[in-house]
Amino acid sequence: MRGSAIKVNHAATTIRVDDLNFGYTSEPVLKGVTFELEKGGVGLLGPNGSGKTTLLRCLLGQVGVQTGQVTVLGHDMAVSARLARCGLGWMPETGGIIPGMSGVGLVAYLGELSGMPARDAMQRAHEVLHYVGLADERYRKCDGYSQGMKQRLKLAQSLVHDPQWLFLDEPTSGLDPRGRVSVLELIRDLAWNKGLGVILSTHLLADVEAVCREILVLRKGELLARQEVDAGSRQPRQVFEVEGFGDEDTFRRGLADLGAEIAEEQRLLLVTLDLNRVEGAAAGEGQWDPAAGVNAILGVAASSDYALRRLRRRPVSLADEFYDLVEA
Amino acid sequence: MPVYDRGYTHWQPSDRRSYPAWWVIARRGIVQPWKTKGMLTLLLILLVASWVPAIVKGGIVYFKLKAGDMVDLVGGSWTSIEPEGFLNYLDKQHFFVFVIMAIVGAGLVATDRRDNGLSLYFSRPLGLRSYVLGKTLILLFYYALVTFVPALALCIFAYLIAPDAVGIDLLLLTPLRLLVFCALTGTSMSLVLLAFSCLGKRSIFIMVWWTVMVTGTKTLGAIAGALNKGALQLLDFMGQYDNAGTFIFGADATLEVSRFLSLAVVLGWTGLAIWVLRSRIKPVEVVA
Repeated sequence: MRGSAIKVNHAATTIRVDDLNFGYTSEPVLKGVTFELEKGGVGLLGPNGSGKTTLLRCLLGQVGVQTGQVTVLGHDMAVSARLARCGLGWMPETGGIIPGMSGVGLVAYLGELSGMPARDAMQRAHEVLHYVGLADERYRKCDGYSQGMKQRLKLAQSLVHDPQWLFLDEPTSGLDPRGRVSVLELIRDLAWNKGLGVILSTHLLADVEAVCREILVLRKGELLARQEVDAGSRQPRQVFEVEGFGDEDTFRRGLADLGAEIAEEQRLLLVTLDLNRVEGAAAGEGQWDPAAGVNAILGVAASSDYALRRLRRRPVSLADEFYDLVEA
Repeated sequence: MPVYDRGYTHWQPSDRRSYPAWWVIARRGIVQPWKTKGMLTLLLILLVASWVPAIVKGGIVYFKLKAGDMVDLVGGSWTSIEPEGFLNYLDKQHFFVFVIMAIVGAGLVATDRRDNGLSLYFSRPLGLRSYVLGKTLILLFYYALVTFVPALALCIFAYLIAPDAVGIDLLLLTPLRLLVFCALTGTSMSLVLLAFSCLGKRSIFIMVWWTVMVTGTKTLGAIAGALNKGALQLLDFMGQYDNAGTFIFGADATLEVSRFLSLAVVLGWTGLAIWVLRSRIKPVEVVA
């Protein structure tokens, strides 16, 4: 067998899941999950026990699909999961270290198991260990690695065979803040600059915001929502913090005429505008002029002789949206 | 450009040869025990000790062939260069087989289970068969080191000093018998030990179970033999292999039970081991 025997369908880079149902016992863990992904950073969010890891295992072909279909890199996972795995990298949350081996030995070993020639695997193991920042520790037995080093080692082993997709299960689990940032930087680099598809399973919203363009939200085995990470900034309902002086009553009436909801928070007025009701805000199907809300408030202030000291759009955090979804 | 300036680069497959996963697993498993001083010392002592009987038998065979009747003093089938003499020799190697397989094999699957290694293995393009084949070959290698290899060396030595009449037998038939017997027995024992190994997560417990299995059933078999309870000898785990192996060596049964029954028991153990391996080795452990 030659190195080129690793057969990955480079033309097909997508992951397609169609009405996936799965359960380890009679209790279903995944219920009718359907989605399709193109390469890029994708966050898989959900509370504990929502089926994130199980979904990743289905995508890897480690558990059999009971009903529905999973197609990864052009391979039906019920038929040719092994071929698909040539193009997939997996970083498990727990364990994932084979004791008694050096870092470079472990990564090269797993490279060989992926079908790489021994010398290529060893050479590549050195490269990816440099990339993840373990160059100086690569000859040490991995049993003695710190938690942060183990996470990096697991990332390295998932990269050694140059996969097209990386499935990362809680990659920042157990890391100190600095270690977390550096691991997220690596993942972001892979997803944004190196052309790898990354599915990041986590319950840490900040990790998803740092790395992903898109999120899938799971709850109790069901795909609850799918949206882009910065979709919040493109929602028609926008909240503004307003502070000023002058004829506040007229200003409030003007805003009410725009359909705005007004609340008070300390000295601030919290103005919630629905851009659907603002003239000239629409900029296409589901698109709004980002400046439309600000311009509308400025217009009302000018016409009501109200001097603005502060006008700032309050960002909608991913956390707010996530909790709204999950708790809904 | 040095690697630390290059960042992440995509791999360009070369024309070098790559090996199947089972070969990679077997090679690593065979080499790994030699990398720690303690294991290296233990294995060397065991291997040297396991070759002592072969050297002693070689010496006796030499004197028997050269000095004729004088060696009637050390008679018995153990010193024979007939096929059953080699079977007898393999029977006496059971202790070394038991110890070396326990040391090398107890943790083969248990450690992977303990450290979530199975998840890593099965995230690669390999299946259960490749994994089990690789692990079985590790055990077969060490099994052969204490059985087939010294027996074959004895065979060649006996051929070199034997009269022409028995030469062909020693050169062709006996090695073939040894090969078939050791391959079948070694594979079956390896599968049984692997099945034990995948039932736990700590090597030490697997070793204890293996010890109970081998020595306990041996003791029961011996007691049964002494009490003339032939059927109970079926409990002797390792004894069944030799009794069934008499087919291959054309020798008389070594136990008081039918060779067919022994063969059935061996096949039963092997089938059970395969069933256990299939049901226990999974990338995902479900705790009900």
